[in-house]
Amino acid sequence: MRITQNMMSTSVLNDLENAANQLNLTQQRISSGKQIQEPSDNPFGTSQALQYDGDLAQNTQYQSNVNDAQGWQSTVDTALTNVNDIVLRARDLVVQGASDTSGPSARSDIASEIDQLVDSLKAEGNTQYSGRYVFSGTQTLTQPYQVGSTNDSYAGNAGTITREIGQGVQVAVNVPGSTIFGDGTTGLIATLRQISTDLRANNGSALQNGDLTALDNAGTAISAQQATVGAMSNRLTSATSRLQQLQQATTQQLSNVQDADMAQTMIDFSTQTAVYQAALKSGAQIIQPSLMDFLAVG
Amino acid sequence: MAISTFMGLETTLRGILAQQLALDTTAHNISNASTPGYSRQSAVMAASTAFAPPSMMTPAQAGEIGTGVDVIAYQRVRDSFLDLQYRGQSMVQGQAQATNDGLNNVQDALNEPGDNGLSNLMQQYWSSWQAVSNDPENMASRQALAQSAASLANGFNALSSQLTTIQGQTGQNVTATIQNVNQLGAQIATLNNSIRQATVGGVQPNDLLDQRDNLLDQLSAMGNVSITNSTNGMVDVSIGGAALVTGTTSATIAESDMTSLTSGKLSGLIQLRDTTIPGYQAQLDTVASTLISATNTQHAAGFDLNGNAGGAFFTGTNASTIAVNPALITNPGLIAASADGTPGNANNALALAGIRNQTLIGSSSIDDAYSQLVTKIGADTAQSNTTLSNATALTTAINNQRQSVSGVSLDEEMTNLLTFQRGYQASSRALSAMDDMIDQLVNRTGRVGL
Repeated sequence: MRITQNMMSTSVLNDLENAANQLNLTQQRISSGKQIQEPSDNPFGTSQALQYDGDLAQNTQYQSNVNDAQGWQSTVDTALTNVNDIVLRARDLVVQGASDTSGPSARSDIASEIDQLVDSLKAEGNTQYSGRYVFSGTQTLTQPYQVGSTNDSYAGNAGTITREIGQGVQVAVNVPGSTIFGDGTTGLIATLRQISTDLRANNGSALQNGDLTALDNAGTAISAQQATVGAMSNRLTSATSRLQQLQQATTQQLSNVQDADMAQTMIDFSTQTAVYQAALKSGAQIIQPSLMDFLAVG
Repeated sequence: MAISTFMGLETTLRGILAQQLALDTTAHNISNASTPGYSRQSAVMAASTAFAPPSMMTPAQAGEIGTGVDVIAYQRVRDSFLDLQYRGQSMVQGQAQATNDGLNNVQDALNEPGDNGLSNLMQQYWSSWQAVSNDPENMASRQALAQSAASLANGFNALSSQLTTIQGQTGQNVTATIQNVNQLGAQIATLNNSIRQATVGGVQPNDLLDQRDNLLDQLSAMGNVSITNSTNGMVDVSIGGAALVTGTTSATIAESDMTSLTSGKLSGLIQLRDTTIPGYQAQLDTVASTLISATNTQHAAGFDLNGNAGGAFFTGTNASTIAVNPALITNPGLIAASADGTPGNANNALALAGIRNQTLIGSSSIDDAYSQLVTKIGADTAQSNTTLSNATALTTAINNQRQSVSGVSLDEEMTNLLTFQRGYQASSRALSAMDDMIDQLVNRTGRVGL
């Protein structure tokens, strides 16, 4: 093949351009740490990376949901523990008041303390978690019980508050106050009100029979609720560790698709640098001389 | 029968003149070594007519005697078959280049994968609904949702308008390219005229032919060009089925005239403008409109903080018009997070966040449909990268072959320079010898003993 000077300079220029392009791409990979600079570098990898990015964002949000649910549950749990204490104290008082040795004045004093306990109970019923009433069902902005009032009705509803802790996995985090504290003439508060009335009426037999049984039943119900909350709390804890494992695995997969293999990239970089420099050197040496440099015409 | 005493002078003169013309041609080649489209030329030498010319009255002599050399033509060294190949490949390359430029612009507009892409804005949007579900009574979380929804809408608007801009620029490029085609057509027609005049005069206008071939090369990158040889060295040119040059006249063609445009830059640009980019735009619009309708339907099923049924969450119908209902930004309490009207219920917010995982577009979710758009653009760009680099490599290879035939090799020209210079010197020496001989005859003959 007949070779001309123009062909040589064009091909040296083309080769230099190619080598510089490769080098530029590798440099971008090193400086960004990413294998995929733009979708065309790896279209399928890009779609995987987007998918994993989305999964990670969702996972992070689920973890935040679980945290919130845990905060809510521990508030409920603390309140239930307090309620349990109150019920135990009330039982002591009822046992004391039911004793035949207690006279009317002693029973009246105990009745006053029971009334105090009712208010404490209502205060527990009004427990808040970051500005929301946890025992109001979904009427979270409505105070469920009126403390210091004889109105014992429940102002909340029986609604369930749910948190999503995984795709399509929803858990209820609340216990409606009416199932623990009662509403109006039924439930724990009504039982205590009845006890207070019976104490004031000096009705020993009622105290010994119906009232004590009712209080024990209420105590059992609260323990059962606490057990449910505890189980839920375990479920949230295991959800957290599952989400964290998933996050780790997804991060690993994302990194496999998206991140540059540094060892490989650095080796590529050295090779390409050597190629580029060789091309530069040969370009500088090939292009200059021609027969003209060696002929003395004339 | 004797020949003229002075015949040898004429013979050497012819030699001197011929070598000089060959040297001039070499100098012309060297001067044009870097001229684009230049084909090297050579002075074709042939022995001049011998003496005496054959006739009925040929004088009695030993035979014909040579009379030296003449330059009979200046030959342009060019292989028209390689020109055909080059132009065919140049059409493919022009199309690939135009497509590749446009697709790279589209890909840059996407900004994926990255923190500022639409994909990330979508993730933030879905997470904001979840955050609202954790805290439906809280204005701050609702405000954050309204903001991230507005960012998402802006993201859709920006991408859509960038696609429209690229489409518009491609259209302008089509217009500019057609203007360029028409200018080239006019220049070719002018050259046709000059070439016709020279050819009729019996001369091959090498440099004009080079110029015209160069223009035809440029033209072939723009569309599928058909070149027909006409009379007197002229060519007729049509592009995309529209007659551009007929003899010495050129037509001003418009886009609609090119009814069978199959390759070249114009074909690539028109394909981008009319099919590829509108296709992407439509896919993006589907993603946006599905998001709008699914969100609005679910939003209307819920209740805001005041217990009223939800209104529209998004306004608009496609990627360019999507926006968050301004009332929700002013008062995020109007966001219908509750499924039953109570403030603590966030089931509607969860349902709205759950749209993320619903298959709404074919068998894909909204996220997946967008990701498919990104993958499609990426795959199209990757494919056009490959097509372009193949076409460029082939064009370069064919051009190399052409250069190998027509290009000026300085080594070769230097060798020719030496040859012709020596030829000139030798002819001059022969002339001196003749001169000495005649000097002997004229000045010294018949002077014996003087």
